[in-house]
Amino acid sequence: MRWAILAALPIGLLLLALYPMVATGYGIQFMLQLFMWVALAQSWNLISGLTGYVSFGHVAFFGTGAYGAAILVSKHAWHWVPASLMGGVAAVVLALIIGYPCLRLKGPYFAIAMLGLNEVMRVLVSYFEGLTGGGSGLSLPTLHASRQVYYGMGLAALAITGVAHILITSRVGLRFMTIREDEIAAEAMGINTARYKLFAFLLSAFVPGVVGGLYARDQGYIEPISVFPLLTTVTMIVMALFGGKGTIWGPVLGAVTLFIFQELVWARFLYLHQVLFGAIIVVVVLLMPKGILGILQERYRLPRWV
Amino acid sequence: MRDGHILEVRDVTKRFGGVRAVHRCSFALAPGKIYGLIGPNGSGKTTLFNCITGLTQRDEGEIHFKEERIDGLRPYQVAHRGIGRTFQIIRVFPELTALENLLVVTREAFDSARRKAMDLLRFVTLDRLQNEYAGNLSYGQQKLLEFVRVLMTDPELILLDEPAAGVNRTLLNELLAAITRLRDQGKTILIVEHDMKVVMALCEQVFVLDHGEKIAEGPPAAIQADERVIEAYFGR
Repeated sequence: MRWAILAALPIGLLLLALYPMVATGYGIQFMLQLFMWVALAQSWNLISGLTGYVSFGHVAFFGTGAYGAAILVSKHAWHWVPASLMGGVAAVVLALIIGYPCLRLKGPYFAIAMLGLNEVMRVLVSYFEGLTGGGSGLSLPTLHASRQVYYGMGLAALAITGVAHILITSRVGLRFMTIREDEIAAEAMGINTARYKLFAFLLSAFVPGVVGGLYARDQGYIEPISVFPLLTTVTMIVMALFGGKGTIWGPVLGAVTLFIFQELVWARFLYLHQVLFGAIIVVVVLLMPKGILGILQERYRLPRWV
Repeated sequence: MRDGHILEVRDVTKRFGGVRAVHRCSFALAPGKIYGLIGPNGSGKTTLFNCITGLTQRDEGEIHFKEERIDGLRPYQVAHRGIGRTFQIIRVFPELTALENLLVVTREAFDSARRKAMDLLRFVTLDRLQNEYAGNLSYGQQKLLEFVRVLMTDPELILLDEPAAGVNRTLLNELLAAITRLRDQGKTILIVEHDMKVVMALCEQVFVLDHGEKIAEGPPAAIQADERVIEAYFGR
């Protein structure tokens, strides 16, 4: 099993790397967004799946990265690659500022604080018109870079999944999980929970920031409502839950399945698609809160690296 | 180590709103002995445990462990100094396996940690369940797991909050033997326990709390005969 995965991985990656050579414009756009969702669901998994601190405002890091990168590209003529990385740094700085006070909050209070953060960021971005263009948005210079952005998104998804793998198969990841399992016992057993929580939070903020920057480059135009939508947070949560939170491949599985599903339904039943998505949320929460991989792990005692 | 004590609690007071959970409580533990902490429900035993381990901040008083003052430290810092504890209500990590529950708490190198964890699991006959989620173990098994999890970090002082509650007789005897063995290895142990048989069998010295105040202290036999203790437990 382990060898099968180890062999399948490089072959799959090679095929994905070669794909842009044969792909249509739609194909590239489709895969690029798929990578983006894998990266976002996996990022959310690091803080919420592992430590159990449910972030309802994770799109704030995405939006911060998008605006950070877009400002650097459009006003300071940066190349979009370093600009996107700086978008990630901006998201980490935001996480540092907000994480210190907010990670003291427990359960629903943290979730609500994060929800508030997203609203605050959206209002702030709208308010500072000189820098951000306010409500009328921000345009980036025209550039056809979908193929390059494809690789950027792919690398982001790969990197964060690699990080998840390293964490979950090591004691650091187990310590993250003890916070989810029983924070008081973890602390009493000598685990510095405040430090581990902040570490997980910073890790989970970087990639959404980078991905936000890549998204801004790909779209060429961003506005507050397009990069700070609550629905994006909800979607990454549902993807991670569906695949299996707290596992390595769960968020990947969830993102791939639901994104393909969404595209199929979207194309056929424009109005039904929101209803169906809502129905999936209800089914997941009620019938399979541990997600597909969570159920498989419990039934077949799979090791954590699966 | 002043007066050769490993732990010294000095005039510790803790209030919750208007309730004095612990009031001017003082005692000292010498290394290598088993101590008991008893008292009726709500007498402040667990609060005192929480004050020592940093889970609750005391309002007044001082707590010294070895040479150092430890009140005001965060719980993980207290744990790093060498104090381990179990909880009255079991607090294993349910979605971690039995083995992971042990591995996660030490900072030792992985290989030696794993060897030690397996030894401890064998010691409480849980080695065959090493890959089982802790939440799927029986109550008694979880209790044993929590007990060996404390040992994983090699603490010098071990605080056990009702180790005998809900444990069957065979298991209990093994547990008592294990506690005695730890004492023989030089560990200091403080036990909160309601089962007087356990207290009598194990403890060399007993402290009695009532309404947050220490009302008696002495060897178990003397404690059982103490007027104030009988009064606290049964009323006048």
